[in-house]
Parts: sequence; structure tokens; C-alpha cells
Amino acid sequence: MIESGDGKGSKPSSYERIVLKNASEYYYLKIHLEFEEVGISLNAFEFKQLIISALKQLHGEVGAALPVDVLSYEEKNLFAILRVPITGLVKLWSALTLLDTYQNRKCAFRVIQTSPFLLALAGNSRELVLD
Amino acid sequence: MAGFVDLNIPHLPEKESLQKLVASAAHLGYSTVAINYVIDYEEKKKEVVKPISPSELFTSLPMVQGKSKPIKILSRLTLVVSDPSHCNILRARSTNIKFYDIFAVFPKNGKLFHVACTTLDVDLVCINVTEKLPFYIKRPSVNVAMDRGIYFELVYVPAIKDSTMRRYTISNALSLMQICRGKNIVLSSAAEKPLQLRGPYDVANLGWLFGLSESNAKAAVSTNGRAVLLHGEARKTAFGVVYTMKKPRTPDEDDSTPATKKVKMAL
Repeated sequence: MIESGDGKGSKPSSYERIVLKNASEYYYLKIHLEFEEVGISLNAFEFKQLIISALKQLHGEVGAALPVDVLSYEEKNLFAILRVPITGLVKLWSALTLLDTYQNRKCAFRVIQTSPFLLALAGNSRELVLD
Repeated sequence: MAGFVDLNIPHLPEKESLQKLVASAAHLGYSTVAINYVIDYEEKKKEVVKPISPSELFTSLPMVQGKSKPIKILSRLTLVVSDPSHCNILRARSTNIKFYDIFAVFPKNGKLFHVACTTLDVDLVCINVTEKLPFYIKRPSVNVAMDRGIYFELVYVPAIKDSTMRRYTISNALSLMQICRGKNIVLSSAAEKPLQLRGPYDVANLGWLFGLSESNAKAAVSTNGRAVLLHGEARKTAFGVVYTMKKPRTPDEDDSTPATKKVKMAL
């Protein structure tokens, strides 16, 4: 719909409708690494190594070649945001699910949120109470 | 949408660790869990114990994440059968057996798998994931089971613990999926520690490794679990119409016993 302007000088504003399908080529995951004992710290490099070794355990060399990026990593509470191409989401997610040890210590990855848009990770849809 | 269901929380002798396990399941977002009691005839553990009641376990039930409702705790009995005579316990209505909500069987050979799918009065058939499948899963028995509303259970924690078991889990799951095409599958944990539990969305994603489609994988942790519960309920009361009447109760009465039930059989 195009509105006609009332004033003589104002140009009629135009509208454009764009539909994007699968606009995002990446998926973002917000994850948390949980340990049995407290006080275990990893630096960002060790964290990335752990993710790559998890991928290698489940999907082999091809899985380890998946371009995973750690966008943000909080060392003190082990929260991180990962970015992965859409085709590799299931591979990365299943590899994280099936990981259970880091240097002979029991651990677990908790996937808190996943979204194709980084902005969506600002709020948590899983803890949203509707009623 | 049906809430997420985990039908296999093993019954641990220590109350404290069982509490922790149920609490972490609630934290991860499961709205219903079933505590599993295993009876193994080879280990001579034959007596059916009375299941622990939720009020005995918790003074106040843990809240489910994102639901602001308390978690629902059920009981489930699993029979490990290697001989057809072991199933008599299901027919003989012994004293403690009526307390269980769900019955499951773990068939050890192909003949018993067929019997479990076609004639036994159970809700779940467990598929072995810790070793190579000792028999072929045949299409006729699976088709009958699907018609009767019996579900197949796959356990995922052995896949987390050990890499050889992970191979067996995936290969057994894939051979099952070839026959049942992703229908009538329930994914559950059998986790002994809170750290071995995974969130429901993670488990649904794991279903992809087992050859499930996206929608079937989600159903395997939510709606299928609910269907098993309803199947168990129908078996307990009547196969037809169930009519319940609410009766005002005194506060000192035990909460775990159901309200007075009037059962009417339909055709």
C-alpha cells in the first residue's frame, strides 16, 4: 500500500516487502560447562581444544574440521557463545552432548540456548513463563 | 505441548543421591520422571518392592525449569526376562505390583522380543544398547507392537560413558529405526549421576544420531513418553472408560493414593 502525501512538497513514501528464507548462515549456541568439583578453570584456548576434541571423538577428522568459533568466553563461570555454520549445528550439538570428561574429571556441557540470531541470546526463551 | 518426560531414573539405594538426580532433572526441564526398579531373574532379585513415594522422597517437590510447577514422579518396573516363565509376575497380581505406573520388559532373545511385542501386557520394550543386538528385530513383531501402542525405549547414558557402548548404541538404534521408521520410540536417560543427565533439547538433537527425524526426535522425549503413561494408566484401570470422582480429603491422608475410582468397562 502506498499512502498519498497530503502536502504538495512531501514525496509519497514507498514501502518494500522483502521475505528472506534462511537468511542466517550461522547458528549461535550459548553453552555452559559444568564440573563435578568446583574451582576448575580453563582458559579460552583449552576450552576450544575441548570442543574440537569432542567433535573429533564423535565425528572424526571431518568433524574436527568444522569451523566452530568461540565468540565470547567467561573464564570464571565457564559460559560461552559459539558460532557454527547451519550445516554443522547438529554435529556440534551432539558432540557436546556426548562429552563427559575433561582431563579425567567428569564434566557436562549444558546447552542453554540456540538461535540463528545472536540478538536472541540476550533473553532466555526456555525460562520464559507464559502463564 | 506435552511436557518433557524422562522415563528411566534408576532407583538408587541412597535417598540423597536419588533426590539430587530428580532435582537436576527438574532443573533441566523435565516435567515428569519415572523411577525405575529393575528385577533381574539371573541375579535372583525376585521380590517386587513397594516403590518409594514422592512424599517420602521430598518434603517439597522441586520446581520444573520454566514451568513454575512441581515435577511429577512416577514409578516403573522393568523385568529382565530370558525365559517366558519370568513374565508370570505380570499376570499374577501380586501385592506390590499394583503400585507401579509403568511396566517395561527387557527381552534377552528374539523369541521373547516377539512375545513382549505381541502378547505381554506391558507399556515399554527396552532395547539393549550396551552390547551387540543378540537377535534381529523383525518387522511383524514391531508392527503388532505399534498397533497395540507399545513403545520401544532407547537409553542414551551408556553412549556418554563409554566409546564402545556409543558404537553399539548407535548401530542398534539405527537397526531399530530401519524397521519402525522412527515411530514409537522413547529416549530416556538411565543416568546414575546428575552430571550424566542431559537436557530434553539435547536429547532430541541426539535423536538425529539414532536416525530419527526432527519431529520424531522431539516426540521421543515428549509426546511418546506421555503416550506410555496413558497406556499404563489404561492398563491399570480399564481399557475403556475411566470415571473418577473427587472426594474431599482430610489433610492427614496419604497424598500418593489415588482418589476413589469408579471403573466402568465399555465394550
